[in-house]
Amino acid sequence: MNLSRKNPPARRAAVTDAPAPATPALAGRAGEIAAAWAPTGGRVLLGLVLAWFGYHELVQPGLWTGYVPLVSPGSALAALAVLAHGWLLLVLATALICGLVTRVAAAVAAVLLAEIVISLIAVGGLSDLTMRDAGVLGLAVCLTGQHPQRLVLRR
Amino acid sequence: MRSSATPPGPAGLTLLAATAVAGIVLAVHGWAGRHAGLAPGALGTAASPASAAAGPASPARTAAPAAPGRTSRQAGSRSTASPAPAGSSPAASPGPLLSAEPYASYSFKVWPGAPSAAARAALTGLTVRVRRRGPGITVTAGVSGQPAPAPRFYRDGARVYIVEASLGDDSGNSDYSLGDDGLIVTNAQGRIVR
Repeated sequence: MNLSRKNPPARRAAVTDAPAPATPALAGRAGEIAAAWAPTGGRVLLGLVLAWFGYHELVQPGLWTGYVPLVSPGSALAALAVLAHGWLLLVLATALICGLVTRVAAAVAAVLLAEIVISLIAVGGLSDLTMRDAGVLGLAVCLTGQHPQRLVLRR
Repeated sequence: MRSSATPPGPAGLTLLAATAVAGIVLAVHGWAGRHAGLAPGALGTAASPASAAAGPASPARTAAPAAPGRTSRQAGSRSTASPAPAGSSPAASPGPLLSAEPYASYSFKVWPGAPSAAARAALTGLTVRVRRRGPGITVTAGVSGQPAPAPRFYRDGARVYIVEASLGDDSGNSDYSLGDDGLIVTNAQGRIVR
């Protein structure tokens, strides 16, 4: 007796029919969740990045003065530039994490990151650091678009 | 869910204002302490995390280009204005055990023997030369591509470590921030040589 030869269409149906509807549904559902939450996730993560750097630039500006172009790292001007940069990053971080004027904050962050990337390329050429910052710049640019946002401070 | 174009309400504006004020307070704090922790032996021109973490217990960071000077963002093109005067023979009293220091986990042995892969990564952008001399060693530590500073003698020095708190500022042959770099010499017992 050979069951497979007796009823091949039924066997094929059993193999192919069962998972077929579930996979597109799951994929569609995952896509919906990603569409709803990905901008929020990107926004919060970019905010955390800016918060980390902003805080450390504010509390230890001396560690960052070497990144200020055209200014002596030991000068007061370099320290002031780092402090101003850190302050701006901290405010932008708060705006992004809390969902306040997200697009404006992302646009300003994109400008800051573009300056950093251009400066790094000008000084050291393409490197892993440069490309990493270019990726963060891309995230900031993406967030300048109109997106539905979750986890925002409504009032 | 809401659109990202919605203007912030009073609570949002208050939060932003509070953040701005907190940022100013932190900036004042940072400005006041911008020179704090400037270790005489730090490789960079600024305080290093290692020295900040260790406080006064990190005296043995030695090395050369300690003087603040024009430093570009690429170590290879750094130009330290005036290298620190060469110490010929610092005090020989041993300090604390390096292993007991908070920055021990950031310290990588570069001498004697072949540096490990991590040590080589930590040495990015830096040049360290060590020679035995009598009862101690002489260490010349500087920035790659720059004139070597005068060597410094360490009595009873037996091991040389490079401190690199974060490798994230190293790329290729460049160390973009020397602020987290330092050099430590220990004796045979692992105590930091001053």
